[in-house]
Amino acid sequence: MAPPVEPKSLAWSPSSSLSSLLRDLPIVFAALALLFSFLSLARYWASPVTAQAPIQLNPGALPRYALFSLARIIIAYAFSLMLTLVYAYVAAHNARAERFLIPLLDTLQSIPVLSFLPPVMVSMVALFPTRQLGVELGCILLILTGQVWNMTFSVYASMKSIPREMAEAAQTYRLSWWQRFIQLELPYSAIGLVWNSMMSVAGGWFFLMACEMFVLENHDLRLPGLGSYLQTAANAGDTRAILWGVVVMVAVIVLMDQVVWRPIIAWSEKFKFEQVEASQTPHSPVLDLLRRSRILSRTVRATVAPARETLTLYFGRQHASSRGGRGWTKWIARLLSVAALLGVLYAIAKMTGMLAMLSRPELRSIFVGAGATFLRVEFTLLLAGLWTIPVGVYIGLRPRLAAIAQPIAQVAASVPATALFPIVLLFLIRLGGGLGIGSIVLLLLGTQWYILFNVIAGATAIPTDLKEVCDVFGLGRVERWRRLLLPGIFPYLITGFVTASGGAWNASIVAEYFRFQNQTFSTTGLGAVISHATDSGNFRVLLGATVVMAVIVVTVNRLLWRPLYALANTRFKLEG
Amino acid sequence: MNPPVTEKLRASLSQGKWDQAVAVLQRLDPDAAADLLMSLPFEQQQLLFRRMTPDLAAALVAALPYYHAYVLLHARPVDEMSAIVDRMNPGERLQFFDELPEEAWQRLMDELAEKPPAGAAREGGAALEELPAVSRAAPAEPIIEARHIEKSFERPDGGQMQVIAPTDLSVEAGEIVALLGPSGSGKSTLLRILSGLTPPSAGDVLWHGKPLAESIPNVAIVFQSFALFPWLTVLENVEVPLLARGMKHEERHRRALGTLASVGLEGFETAYPKDLSGGMKQRVGFARALAVEPEILFMDEPFSALDVLTAENLRGELMELWTGKKIPTKSIFLVTHNIEEAVLLGDRIIVLGRNPARIRADFRVPLPQPRDRHSAEFLLYVDYIYKLITQPELQPGPPSERPAKIPYQMLPHARPGGIAGLLELLNDHGGREDLYHVAEELRLEVDDLLPIVEATALLGFAKSDKGDLEITPSGKTFAEADILARRTQFRDAVLANVTLLQQMHRALTSKSDHAMPVEFFRDILDEHFAALEVQRQIETALHWGRYGDIFTYDPETDRLLLDQPVSSADAGSARLH
Repeated sequence: MAPPVEPKSLAWSPSSSLSSLLRDLPIVFAALALLFSFLSLARYWASPVTAQAPIQLNPGALPRYALFSLARIIIAYAFSLMLTLVYAYVAAHNARAERFLIPLLDTLQSIPVLSFLPPVMVSMVALFPTRQLGVELGCILLILTGQVWNMTFSVYASMKSIPREMAEAAQTYRLSWWQRFIQLELPYSAIGLVWNSMMSVAGGWFFLMACEMFVLENHDLRLPGLGSYLQTAANAGDTRAILWGVVVMVAVIVLMDQVVWRPIIAWSEKFKFEQVEASQTPHSPVLDLLRRSRILSRTVRATVAPARETLTLYFGRQHASSRGGRGWTKWIARLLSVAALLGVLYAIAKMTGMLAMLSRPELRSIFVGAGATFLRVEFTLLLAGLWTIPVGVYIGLRPRLAAIAQPIAQVAASVPATALFPIVLLFLIRLGGGLGIGSIVLLLLGTQWYILFNVIAGATAIPTDLKEVCDVFGLGRVERWRRLLLPGIFPYLITGFVTASGGAWNASIVAEYFRFQNQTFSTTGLGAVISHATDSGNFRVLLGATVVMAVIVVTVNRLLWRPLYALANTRFKLEG
Repeated sequence: MNPPVTEKLRASLSQGKWDQAVAVLQRLDPDAAADLLMSLPFEQQQLLFRRMTPDLAAALVAALPYYHAYVLLHARPVDEMSAIVDRMNPGERLQFFDELPEEAWQRLMDELAEKPPAGAAREGGAALEELPAVSRAAPAEPIIEARHIEKSFERPDGGQMQVIAPTDLSVEAGEIVALLGPSGSGKSTLLRILSGLTPPSAGDVLWHGKPLAESIPNVAIVFQSFALFPWLTVLENVEVPLLARGMKHEERHRRALGTLASVGLEGFETAYPKDLSGGMKQRVGFARALAVEPEILFMDEPFSALDVLTAENLRGELMELWTGKKIPTKSIFLVTHNIEEAVLLGDRIIVLGRNPARIRADFRVPLPQPRDRHSAEFLLYVDYIYKLITQPELQPGPPSERPAKIPYQMLPHARPGGIAGLLELLNDHGGREDLYHVAEELRLEVDDLLPIVEATALLGFAKSDKGDLEITPSGKTFAEADILARRTQFRDAVLANVTLLQQMHRALTSKSDHAMPVEFFRDILDEHFAALEVQRQIETALHWGRYGDIFTYDPETDRLLLDQPVSSADAGSARLH
């Protein structure tokens, strides 16, 4: 929608045109760079299949690998976004589908990424047997399975929580489904979607190594990219190459943060559902640049705006002329749900058959592994809590320190722990420790940040007057923690632990089983069982272990975290 | 009503034969005449009333609703008024005076005391000859007509909970209908049914005679929470419904800008809602509603989220648009819990009762706009509505056909502190006061005042009567007692009058461990109330029970524990609460 009045901005004066051209230069360059990357990607994708791309360890190859990995993550994200919108929209609007889709989502969310590997890869390679595209698509789908669920959940929850009167306004003013989606539902979901997108993409980097290079039955598949580069370097024990890889990965992540996520967060501020202007709003120079750009605003005005107008008017007229649901859409929906039901029944039957074939030692390894991983995850959470709570509170109570520490911690957190793992492992092996400790360190690296951020946020949110009350009554250190600080950060702490717990289970797959310097390091655990089953193509064990993990994660969520969450939202809520 | 008589009256009026019309009324008995008169437009009532003999007028004043009679009476010069009042029979006159609230009564007394010299009345009478004939228009067809609509929700145990009892209601062109009712009375639900947002559980809603579900009603709603889209600018917000109607860019723009200008938002087009004050936001809400040029403008408590001054200002501007015919809207349907607001704006006021919602009164307010909040007539209507909603037995219409089961006693949501405060005020005012005076003095909305009034009545501390509240002897003792004595007295009153607390007390005393989960009582209440109401009932019961030292409540285990009555020995600790 164009602004109502266009004072003077259309007038063309030479001086302003020159300065605006200069201002637009970065955007033009960026567009050219994008075009070039796209061309080289296209050439690579169309090339014949090379299942085992030789990975060169010289740093000169890194930009190309970074581009390939980035492209995979972006494409996977784009698919995730589409799937998210469709899935969440259907679940939020169709009560019957909702009853089936939401539990399914809950289950899918708790299945570790690697468990998707064999079915995804086999089907994709079967689909495009002669082109690199098949393996690539498989890898992209694999990344997608790690990204999509939390985004879907967030959008679904947002759509369901649209304030009643807003939904009624949309109904009474007879908005078409499209206009309602564009002007109400999508904007309302935007904030949650953006934050979950960031988390998802970070998850994509975390599992990149596992997704780009893996052994499937006897096929050693590897795709050129940063993940496989790091993996290869680790296998070769090439410390210099590992460091290069990590540096490039961190650089790419920080760059993405600045060029993509900061602007998007600053832009999404306007979707915040608050009635008063916040005092502090996120700010992004890149966004300012884009907003001021004349080329961009013209392009938008010439393409997006008319397209949106046409679409909305089209759906509006269609909506006005049709009253009530059409018969055939209902029939299609019914047909689809019957097909889905049959599919699920078939899959369950197949799965039960497979599970029944599990041998006793296999079952034993699964359950022992589950116990070990359970203890490991809880121990990691305990360790993370032990250091993050005091540090987070210390930082959170000092606003000036928080302002400095938060961006640093964010960059630190954005580095995928898996990339650092070879270095950590190298260090530990030199010390003489095995993967037993190493896996805990890796889990810690991957999960502590969620808790730290939440604790800092919680401590910042403790009202000053309550702190002053503690001063007035001269509460000692212990009393102060017991009466104010711990209850104050409790809701935030729980949020952090919930995220960390989910993350830790998923991360156990890469943490408990690692190939390094042509050796396979592994420790007892469910993650190791799953990784090993994938490598050796033992689908039975893979399925059994996956089911056990999903059951554990869902049960822990239901029995432990949800009640705590409810408690945090009632008794420990600080009402401002 | 008698059709031939009605026809005759209308015929005389259409021919301008006013005396003949009066003669028609003369021949009827006063109650039938009053009914017939009420069915006419107010202007015609006034004209007819002016031409009546004092005897007929006196008979009608006694038969008409007193508030309406009071307004009609003032259509005549003061000396004629006193002549009419003189002709009323003494019993009816006394009753008429008794019904009037303080201001209205005082004014009438003043008027009757200072009779202007006789003869002045004749001049007024001369003007009567030039009366116009009334065009014989058929009664207007309603825009929306609800026939026997009901609404029920499913209870957790599977039973049905009726929130709206079978109701007939229609909205006609040219009127502002104010739907008034206590919170939780289902008035918003009724608005949603009439506007087509929710279908009724039974009954039909007709839009210009056709079922609402099959037509595309041209309505708009102004919401209490504004319901603006915060990510769209003011202009884009107003354009939302126009875009939905497929209006092209330029026309949409023009229409939206025009509407914004008419509500005083020129220059704010590019602002975002969050940059605006509450009043400005609601202006955007109005502009968005008016942009579609609705036939009926629905308003769901549109001013209750605004501060008093802003609300007053916005009401004034809305009435300016409406009375100046600056908006094409044919009718306004306003839902409110504010009695003054209803009397200020409504041409017609519908008062809802609750549990389940049903129409308790539906009457016209013939006062000219703009209305003066302090005029005797205005206060007369305010007082009447207070009277209506505080006295359950004042129910026009036949009792419901279905023999409903005896409803469970419902606790009014009042805190003990509020009850004590009201009684103290009442005691200071000599023990009796008009309710609208109390509301004004305490600066309470009727929604907040009414539960306290009901609670004092339930506990036997005060009784409400004809819009007045009167303290009882025990209420007086309570108001004058110290904190401890109050709590003891409160305990006794509660245990004597309140079913739920009686049940709780009985259960606690009979159990050996003197403890009881609250869940048990929630289950009992679930059979009688909706989920939200159960929660509020329990909350109120906890407040009362704790204040009356009947029990203590442990939130950790969600249990009630029996409290020993406060003896003077541990009074010190109780005082701290």
